[in-house]
Amino acid sequence: MNLNIVEFFSQTIDLVHKQHHGSIPLILFIGILFGVIIQWSRVDTFDKIAGFAILHGFKVPKMLFLAIGIASIGLYFMIKMGWAHYHIKPIVLGGILIGGVIFAIGMAILGLCPGTGPVAVSEGNIDVLTGLIGGLLAGALFTYLYPDLKSIIGPNLGKVTLAQLVNHDWFIFIYGALLIFIAFWLPEREVEEEVGEI
Amino acid sequence: MNIPKRLGWIPGGIAIALLIWFTFSTIGADRPIGASTGIAYMGAWFFGLQNSEYFQHIKNSGSWEVIFLIGVLIGGFLTSVFITKTFKFRILPPLWKKHKNNSPASRLIWSFIGGFMVVFGARLAGGCTSGHFLSGASQTAVSGLLFGGVVIVVLILTGRLFYKNL
Repeated sequence: MNLNIVEFFSQTIDLVHKQHHGSIPLILFIGILFGVIIQWSRVDTFDKIAGFAILHGFKVPKMLFLAIGIASIGLYFMIKMGWAHYHIKPIVLGGILIGGVIFAIGMAILGLCPGTGPVAVSEGNIDVLTGLIGGLLAGALFTYLYPDLKSIIGPNLGKVTLAQLVNHDWFIFIYGALLIFIAFWLPEREVEEEVGEI
Repeated sequence: MNIPKRLGWIPGGIAIALLIWFTFSTIGADRPIGASTGIAYMGAWFFGLQNSEYFQHIKNSGSWEVIFLIGVLIGGFLTSVFITKTFKFRILPPLWKKHKNNSPASRLIWSFIGGFMVVFGARLAGGCTSGHFLSGASQTAVSGLLFGGVVIVVLILTGRLFYKNL
């Protein structure tokens, strides 16, 4: 094991500098905004995420579907205008199906995911910190086993989007409107979180 | 000025959409939002796996996401202290007490297992809620929609089976 934090950050910052995906302050700024929005809306709580898993509260899917619905329409035209690019993840059937099942079981138990988890840690949830340690170990183990896992993940079936398949501008409006409709259609019910205890 | 203590799902959803646009745009980062690669990158680095095939494969996304997650920690901490006033060291979520048990040890062990599964599953699938769902589904990516469908069904099934007093 190598826990040299200084070396870790100097190498990490070095790697980021070699890419063309924003300066360190800009990336930090994007992260801060994400943290503020997620914490402020309280969707970083076990109560809101596990609360959706037991169908007691719907704030998480409502916010997710609304965000994706709005983002999809704007993004489509931004890409058309050349103001943004597609960054599509490949369809790897075995990986998505098996990984999706493992991910979802873990998400229902932990009550958080990799983006919301760090927000929960930042507001003092010690339980989520042990979850994060579990996640770091999983990342290391996955990296170690990757050569053997490739056969489970399966072949790359391509980077496909529905918008490219349909290939008509109107499709994105139907797609976005449908997602926004789902967001409003889901029940208003919400688990009112209290602050937990030691 | 009166700052609301909670952001509802409508302003929250709109704010996330604006952030997705900014992150994707060429004046922003010209890339999607993602989180699980950053965690895997960090875990692999600490275990000295920098020369492995997978680390070489994810080192660019992973390093970007580590910086992003540092920002997330700062933003979340400041908001919890100054806006929502919810910062507090704690172990047992109220809903866990109501639907699982009263034991901090049990919660810590299950959190560890849950966190392990979340990251391992996300790496198998190639993304998590941020990468596949927020960023993927916003591009109408088939991979993201497939992942989202599987996750919602299994999440609700697990909720039924794992918790009690529903």
